[in-house]
Amino acid sequence: MAEGSSKMSENSVTKVRGKRSPGGSRGMSTDVERSLAGRETLPLPPPNGPILGETTTVKAARRINRAAGTIAASVLADSAMEHYRGDFHNKAMWTPLIASALSLAVSAHGHRDRRHGAHRGRDMVYLAAGLTGIVGTGFHLYNITKKPGGFSWQNVFYSAPIGAPAALSLSGLMGFLSERVRDNEPGTSPTVAGYSAGRVVAALTGVSLLGTMGEAGLLHFRGAYHNPFMFVPVSVPPVAAALLANAAVGKSRVRRHVTRWWLRSTTLMGILGVGFHAYGVSSNMGGWRNWRQNAFNGPPLPAPPSFTGLAMAGLAALGLLEDHPDD
Amino acid sequence: MTDHPRYPGYDVLDKRNTPSWDAVTRRVIDRRIAVSREPHFFSAAEWAVADAVTRRILPQPAGRPPVPLAALLDAKLLADVGDGFREADMPYMGDAWHHGIAALEVESRARHAGRGFAELDAAEQDALLGLMHRGELTDPAWDGLGARNFFTKRLLSDIPGLYYSHPTAWSEMGFGGPASPRGYVRMALDRRDPWEAAQAGPGREQEALRENKNVV
Repeated sequence: MAEGSSKMSENSVTKVRGKRSPGGSRGMSTDVERSLAGRETLPLPPPNGPILGETTTVKAARRINRAAGTIAASVLADSAMEHYRGDFHNKAMWTPLIASALSLAVSAHGHRDRRHGAHRGRDMVYLAAGLTGIVGTGFHLYNITKKPGGFSWQNVFYSAPIGAPAALSLSGLMGFLSERVRDNEPGTSPTVAGYSAGRVVAALTGVSLLGTMGEAGLLHFRGAYHNPFMFVPVSVPPVAAALLANAAVGKSRVRRHVTRWWLRSTTLMGILGVGFHAYGVSSNMGGWRNWRQNAFNGPPLPAPPSFTGLAMAGLAALGLLEDHPDD
Repeated sequence: MTDHPRYPGYDVLDKRNTPSWDAVTRRVIDRRIAVSREPHFFSAAEWAVADAVTRRILPQPAGRPPVPLAALLDAKLLADVGDGFREADMPYMGDAWHHGIAALEVESRARHAGRGFAELDAAEQDALLGLMHRGELTDPAWDGLGARNFFTKRLLSDIPGLYYSHPTAWSEMGFGGPASPRGYVRMALDRRDPWEAAQAGPGREQEALRENKNVV
């Protein structure tokens, strides 16, 4: 443990020196420099308290916690609205609300946690969220097939949305990845299952973006792309996914400006999407005055930020690749 | 029907000023509720017969103001907005009503010692309407219309149609009025939007009553 903390301090020092000392504006960095010069000893952080600075690994893990939390928030609001619409007819319809709320809570916990090492509670919740999403997909498939006509386009469009529970799995997956990244020893190059963590996160995020795009594509197709902006969430994410795939397998010692800006745009897209969906609600008959119908009839307000969450994870992957090049 | 209302406490007019209704709906329904209770198309004598016929075709429960069927019929015939079609063996709507009421009066006076249809008791009126339904009224006064034709193609089409055009009947059967501007989002079987009437299933009367107080 003592070794671990000393490594961590070294790591913080490196990072602090690299990034902050030129300005010297932060008290912390001058403290650190003084301590390096041997004039003062650096006080040990209190147990469980905030640690001065943080390793790049923890920084990335926290970024992915925030990504998981963003997706969880989207799922919480979306499943609450849609399952309220379904009158919580089946008691199991409460499950995604509980799972996403817990995922959101542990993501916030992870965001505040600057320590290394996976957290057992967070891991359990993230795994449960991932599992809930998979079981939920089964429920939604069952809901589709039990309708007259079975697995038909009509039912895929208008029954329980087939792709929605997967978003909960993605929140769980991102959170789980965050814990795996965090589980690396300070001072080491983080890996997940033996592979470079940045590459793993980039690859899985890219695939997740494609899945989320599939859901948006299905529902925007149902909406006949009546507004040209409806093409945005089926145009921007595949490029982001391709760029992430390239980052996952390509050289790590390159600055990926285009990828970074593309992912930032995807982040923004998820937020602007809420605005577009709000406009969609307003253009239904009765507009917002008739919100009790139109918020459910119209495009789902909480859905687009799923893209934001995934793009945040993609940015975390880029950060990991840049901080820990492996070639 | 009044003892155990299917939609206890539900009044579709509670939705008048909610997003469910728009200005056009309010205007149309206001006019329908405020329909003149005086004859304009019918003569006073015809009105009395039409009123008696509507009461026997669609008896209404005591304990609430009845749907003014004769008044609605008079207004419909005066406005002369027909069904959009006319069967070849039937006169125009207004002509059919003038003709049918006159013929019914002839039959009534011939069979009931000079008493008009409106003066008969309910059983006598029902018996006469039954004869009309079976086509057993054959006085020459029916020529060109036909008693059975008048019964099935005018009485049975116009009177229930008018009854169910009235908000009182809507409240009775849990209808919410036009599904525009506000439609429904819970389309599955046995699902209910908060602005839909709640049906009182067995043992659910109190729940339905409470829900129906908030149907807006």
